Amino acid sequence: MTPEQLALRDAVRSLLGKHSDVRAAIETPDGYDEDLWARLCDIGVLPIPERYGGSGAGIAETALALEELGRTLTPSPLLSSAIAAQALLASGNEEACTRLLPRIANGAVAALVWPWDTAEVTATPVLDHPEITTAAAASESLDGTARHVLYGDLAEILLVSDGVSLFEVDDDVTREHTPTMDQTRRLATIQLSGASGTRLGPWSSGVRDIALAALAAEQVGAAARALELTVEYTKTRVQFGRPIGSFQALKHRMADLHVLVETAQSAALAATDEVSAAVAKVYCSEAFCKVAAEMIQLHGGIAITWEHDAHLYFKRAHGSAQLFGSPADHLDRLAKLVRA
Amino acid sequence: MDLDLDAATLEFQAEVRSWLAGHVRPLSSMDTAAGFEEHRSWERLLASERLSVVSWPEAFGGRNASLLQWLIFEEEYHASGAPGRVSQNGIFLLAPTLFAHGTDEQRARILPPMAGGDEVWAQAWSEPEAGSDLASLRSTAVRCEGGWLLRGQKTWSSRAAFADRAFGLFRTSAEGRHRGLTYLMFDLRADGVTVRPINQLDGEPGFAEIFLDDVFVPDRDVIGAVGDGWRVAMSTAGNERGLSLRSPGRFVAAAGRLVELYRKNPDPALRDRVVDAWIGAQAYRLHTFGSLANPPAGPAASVTKVFWSELDLALHETALDLLGEVAPGWRDGWLFSLAGPIYAGTNEIQRNVIAERILGLPR
Repeated sequence: MTPEQLALRDAVRSLLGKHSDVRAAIETPDGYDEDLWARLCDIGVLPIPERYGGSGAGIAETALALEELGRTLTPSPLLSSAIAAQALLASGNEEACTRLLPRIANGAVAALVWPWDTAEVTATPVLDHPEITTAAAASESLDGTARHVLYGDLAEILLVSDGVSLFEVDDDVTREHTPTMDQTRRLATIQLSGASGTRLGPWSSGVRDIALAALAAEQVGAAARALELTVEYTKTRVQFGRPIGSFQALKHRMADLHVLVETAQSAALAATDEVSAAVAKVYCSEAFCKVAAEMIQLHGGIAITWEHDAHLYFKRAHGSAQLFGSPADHLDRLAKLVRA
Repeated sequence: MDLDLDAATLEFQAEVRSWLAGHVRPLSSMDTAAGFEEHRSWERLLASERLSVVSWPEAFGGRNASLLQWLIFEEEYHASGAPGRVSQNGIFLLAPTLFAHGTDEQRARILPPMAGGDEVWAQAWSEPEAGSDLASLRSTAVRCEGGWLLRGQKTWSSRAAFADRAFGLFRTSAEGRHRGLTYLMFDLRADGVTVRPINQLDGEPGFAEIFLDDVFVPDRDVIGAVGDGWRVAMSTAGNERGLSLRSPGRFVAAAGRLVELYRKNPDPALRDRVVDAWIGAQAYRLHTFGSLANPPAGPAASVTKVFWSELDLALHETALDLLGEVAPGWRDGWLFSLAGPIYAGTNEIQRNVIAERILGLPR
């Protein structure tokens, strides 16, 4: 980590330590703390070059911030806006970048509808993704339904990809907040019926890899914190006259979890291309689910309560595992990529 | 092993299947006030056909059914999609304790309203500082004229938010950890009782804390001898950990639903896990039928507890991976399965029991 990256991470961690309140955030109508989001944008966590009004942060810096947001489970549009910004940059459309990126850098929420599991860009002029049904013309009339779109109902800027091109869409769109079990993640269903889309440029499958890597960073942060909380608890919970963390059966399990979190972090950091991003998505999804499940078991009864945060980590773990394609989907892709 | 059923059992099976087919309907969650009463009504309906406690003597509302017939009943019950049993803590945990350690007077007084759904019971064992280390519990019962006064705090008490009565362990003397505990029953609506519902991870008050402030319990509500509560409690623990609370029928039915789910959403990457879960349910079923003559009790119940709780988790996780999202039909079962390796003695404690008391490994 460079000194600048370390400073950024510390700034985000300190901000979240002071101002993040996940319970309060999920009770708000939009499900996130707008003031906190504005402060994050001020720190410059979005991957937007300076010439487009950004801080000049890259994806690596955004990943650091996401790792911190993952630790505290803070609901935030960062993942959504960051991916949308990267899709815009990849489209090479100077006019759109000049017009939209400064707004995103300033905190305007951006959302992207994209084909999660398309391994490569196809020339088919349809939205050929299972999430997007009844897709038709790819040109400028967009049809289809997309589920589990990050911040899709709140976004000021809505981008849509059919896996070939990137479009900007602003009308004829039905957006509906569709809550899932993970209340800390805002997801929406978007219906496009003959929506007029402005073709901005080509879609780059590199955006998928960036999204997977960014999500993996967030998963690692959450998994690391879930383990820390568990270790802290087992040091203070006394049964049979000693802290339960002193029992070898529990020690070994937490030691194994530590190995898992460390290797997951390595996988997330190394996620820079198609294969390594898919590896990170699979590995970090499974690692976080494992740590969250163990967090519940090692806490015992208290973890079954609504008051305790263990279920928030657990639900985030399982929601994140499904986001942008399940581990099984990406294993399938990897099998083909490795065989090729 | 001969799994052919005799004529009487086949007839019983047909009757149960037909009755359930005609009466099962979806109910609201039993962890809500309204849903709890719906479940109580369901218990009354079952009892009206003597189907709520088939293995009990007829005098208490049962049919004197054999253990085999009870297993068959459970299979039919779960296969039909019938509601969860709001009276399970009473009929599966307290009742076996009363059969083993209670008096005739207690059985005659307590079992019929339990069988009929008129008295729903909660278990009051754990305390904030006494979970896995149950014997360190601090709630006390102090002698008074004609009975005992209960003081202290119990927690993680399933159903207690809406139940009528509770049973639990209390310290009646300071000598020793295990000695000096006594098994008592008390009324959750008695003077001095405060019940504070606890919302579970699904947001509903599936369990509660119970605060006891000089709650009077008459002598007739002590089970077994004063000071002998630990031994009495461990006989109930065997029932909770063993097959009575979690009969194979439940898992066989869930595994069947999982296979159906796979047929609709085939995913070769998950095929092995679907089949493993199905095999696990079948293995548990066969293990249970095989041990009918000598049902798991004591330390042996720890073996089944580890097995069914981990099977339940694997089964639900596989279903979720097949679905890719949390479908309503699987959501509650999945969240509930998370608690399985924790309640009735954590699986860590069960493994200690297996290691020390079955394998004879040093403490």
